[in-house]
Amino acid sequence: MFFHIVLERNMQLHPRHFGRNLRENLVSKLMKDVEGTCSGRHGFVVAITGIENVGKGLIRDGTGFVTFPVKYQCVVFRPFKGEILEAAVTMVNKMGFFAETGPVQIFVSNHLIPDDMEFQSGDMPNYTTSDGSVKIQKDSEVRLKIIGTRVDATEIFCIGTIKDDFLGVINDPTTA
Amino acid sequence: MSEKGGRMFSLPTKTTPKSSLKSTAGKYDNSAKSKRGRKVQFGTEGSPDVNFSSPKSDGKFATPFGKGGKGEKAANGGKTHVAKESLSLELRVEQELPENIKCLMDCEAATILEGIQDQMVILSSDPTIKLPESFGSGLQYAKTGSYFTNPQSVRKVLQSLTKYGVSNSEICVIANTCPETVDEVFALVRSLEAKRSKITGPLKDVLDELAKLKTST
Repeated sequence: MFFHIVLERNMQLHPRHFGRNLRENLVSKLMKDVEGTCSGRHGFVVAITGIENVGKGLIRDGTGFVTFPVKYQCVVFRPFKGEILEAAVTMVNKMGFFAETGPVQIFVSNHLIPDDMEFQSGDMPNYTTSDGSVKIQKDSEVRLKIIGTRVDATEIFCIGTIKDDFLGVINDPTTA
Repeated sequence: MSEKGGRMFSLPTKTTPKSSLKSTAGKYDNSAKSKRGRKVQFGTEGSPDVNFSSPKSDGKFATPFGKGGKGEKAANGGKTHVAKESLSLELRVEQELPENIKCLMDCEAATILEGIQDQMVILSSDPTIKLPESFGSGLQYAKTGSYFTNPQSVRKVLQSLTKYGVSNSEICVIANTCPETVDEVFALVRSLEAKRSKITGPLKDVLDELAKLKTST
């Protein structure tokens, strides 16, 4: 889910950036440092929407660097347990399938796929119901529920399920 | 419903046997105790990691189920044991994040991100500023996932639910999934089950309004 949040960060700036464009330099350094990063608490920082406040700079002893506390608003994307998401399938194998929603990867284990769907291997591996009416393959869109999340340094990885009411395939690419 | 693997929880139905919960609770106890809600949630072998995350639970599953097994709504602060008992993986956004966070619907996020992308065209004279990869995928997801073109009217329609105690995150989930029936809402947003009798009527009206606002694709 997307969130709009105010975060704070201490930015260090080298003296060569001082001058008329100090604020612009600070903002562009903030954007380079922060956009695209991921944290466990906030999720992916997708974009910075504005700078709320730049505090007074503090010169660091022994070096010429100055530290500015910057408060900024940003859009973050963080998946939550219990959340319902729509994701595009990226890979199918006999353990389950991988799907992607925004910057987040989700894995749905075959234990969490309805029992009436069986794995079919081949050029285009897929999960299909016994009557062939519903198929999950690469590029299918599925609605799933997040049941667990893990965060590492650069990305968030989730486990999902489609074994619940109103979950499963939305859009089959072969019929679209 | 039967599931592969003896240790699986069946996802919540009124017939969920209480004994199955108690028998498996002990196995997960040790792993649950040391884990905070928002850090690591993986169940093993894809089995659902059910509610072990609640920061206040510490693996205590002994208290009995409330009627219907759903417990209290997630927005209640999770202070009671009842909240964590529910197997339904209720949305606990408000508990896990600080209060100044605003939940965005996909359509609102798409509007904001598109605005930023337009600005980047102006800023692109500086070659060192690039939009990160997660921006592109986030924008694409927000655009394809959102069914509505006018976020303000959607927000206005859904605001009427707040007086019944529906939290902002639950409203966002409803907007993002765009359900067609009231049953679908209660199935997808389990934390609303507790208020079912109160909000069924208003929810139906809200869904009718949303159906009118939905873009036909």
